[in-house]
Amino acid sequence: MLVAWNYRYRNSPMDHIDPRARFIFSFAVLFAATTTWNPNILFAVFIISITWYSLGRLTWKDTRFGWLMISIMLFTMIVINTIITGGGAGGVVPPGGQLVWPNGVSIFGRQLNLGLTIERLWFAVSQLMRLLSISMVFIMIPYTMDSRAYGVTFSKLGMPDRLAYTMELSFRFMPTLARNFQVTLDAQRARGFELDAGKGNIVQKIRQVAPLLIPVTMNAIVSSEDIANAMDLRGFGLRKRTWLYKLQFRWWDWAIIAFGALMLAVVLILAYRFDMRLFHVPDWWYGLFGS
Amino acid sequence: MEKTVTTGKKKNIWQFGTNQVVYAAIGAALYAVVTWAFNIWQIPGAGNVGVRPAVVIPMFFGIAFGPIVGFITGFVGNILSDMLSGYGFWVWWDIGNGIMGLIPGLFSAMIFKYNEQKSILRAELSVVLGTALGMALAAISEMWVSGADINTAIVANFLPAFITNIIWGLILLPILMIAYAAIVQRSGR
Repeated sequence: MLVAWNYRYRNSPMDHIDPRARFIFSFAVLFAATTTWNPNILFAVFIISITWYSLGRLTWKDTRFGWLMISIMLFTMIVINTIITGGGAGGVVPPGGQLVWPNGVSIFGRQLNLGLTIERLWFAVSQLMRLLSISMVFIMIPYTMDSRAYGVTFSKLGMPDRLAYTMELSFRFMPTLARNFQVTLDAQRARGFELDAGKGNIVQKIRQVAPLLIPVTMNAIVSSEDIANAMDLRGFGLRKRTWLYKLQFRWWDWAIIAFGALMLAVVLILAYRFDMRLFHVPDWWYGLFGS
Repeated sequence: MEKTVTTGKKKNIWQFGTNQVVYAAIGAALYAVVTWAFNIWQIPGAGNVGVRPAVVIPMFFGIAFGPIVGFITGFVGNILSDMLSGYGFWVWWDIGNGIMGLIPGLFSAMIFKYNEQKSILRAELSVVLGTALGMALAAISEMWVSGADINTAIVANFLPAFITNIIWGLILLPILMIAYAAIVQRSGR
């Protein structure tokens, strides 16, 4: 079993942006998108996110697994909770409203009253803009950020050195642990172990995982003592840590941070100073339904 | 080098020395690898009740090595597994996973012999509390992010994650604790 990171160098604009600037900008988008339900502001944030995503030059083939997961989440939250049941809109959309199909809908000869309102449908659009904005900036991180950069990035963003180094160290352990996992699985299978035997009740099925999980976990713990000893012998933690992977801010990184901060400030001012925080339906949306 | 005390002595659960750095790193890497492996294999035994037997790893590392190690195992491990699977970076779920290791870690101060019945019962209680708190925090964050109401957050986000994680945790944690007790005994830690 080979551990393969999704990152590869694409010489895209995103590859030349400092990871610290990227994280700061991504969180600015997250806070901006979650501050308001105003459709104009959400649309502006959505366009900014699309532009940001395009800087990564990611293909559909690269990111399809990530988008599959996002699609399931969007389907549950928007189609099932907001459009079909109306539960997802309960906290934001006021009760009542105009029905999209006032006379019901005929499906397979049966007249159904779905109860879907124009307001709820607009809320679904707003939700889609908000969730896609956030998804786009965060889903691209594993594909566009070198795994060697995580430890130093979090350290430079203010995370304690030991914590940042823990993150760095876990990246290095993964290939070894993946190999151990595969070797253990092969060894257990050679002894007649069947992970997917499909016998017994739920508890028995869960317990079937134990012959695989226990040796892998215990081996990892036992071997970690040697690693800790080796680190202590080399004086780990006695002085401030230096990092092999260097980060350097360039003028465009500062510009991105400034833009992110400005965007967030503008959204906060509009939302709280000019009361553009709450959900509302634009008139043209009602016009689409002949209202 | 500080020694991790595992039997019969008072523990300093907030210690974060070299040993804890390595345990946390190993735990996080293990959590990521096992989660990823079970995701790609779609194991039928797991498929019936959820696909994350690996959730027991942050719980166990919390119980064995304290709250900081437990939290990092869950938090960093979830980031790494999402990176491997290409799912992106979802910090509120990462924190939720961290809490699933942190709460058992707080109980580690009361656990000295891993194969004792009362230790196992305390650990099981910590699994319930940790999973409830961690998944509640992540589900409530979805209300903030997606604007869902409390019912949706509970039914669509909290319950599926809570129920599957708790089943895996309650069944697998005692098995890991008993196995670890044997190692502790054998190596005289």
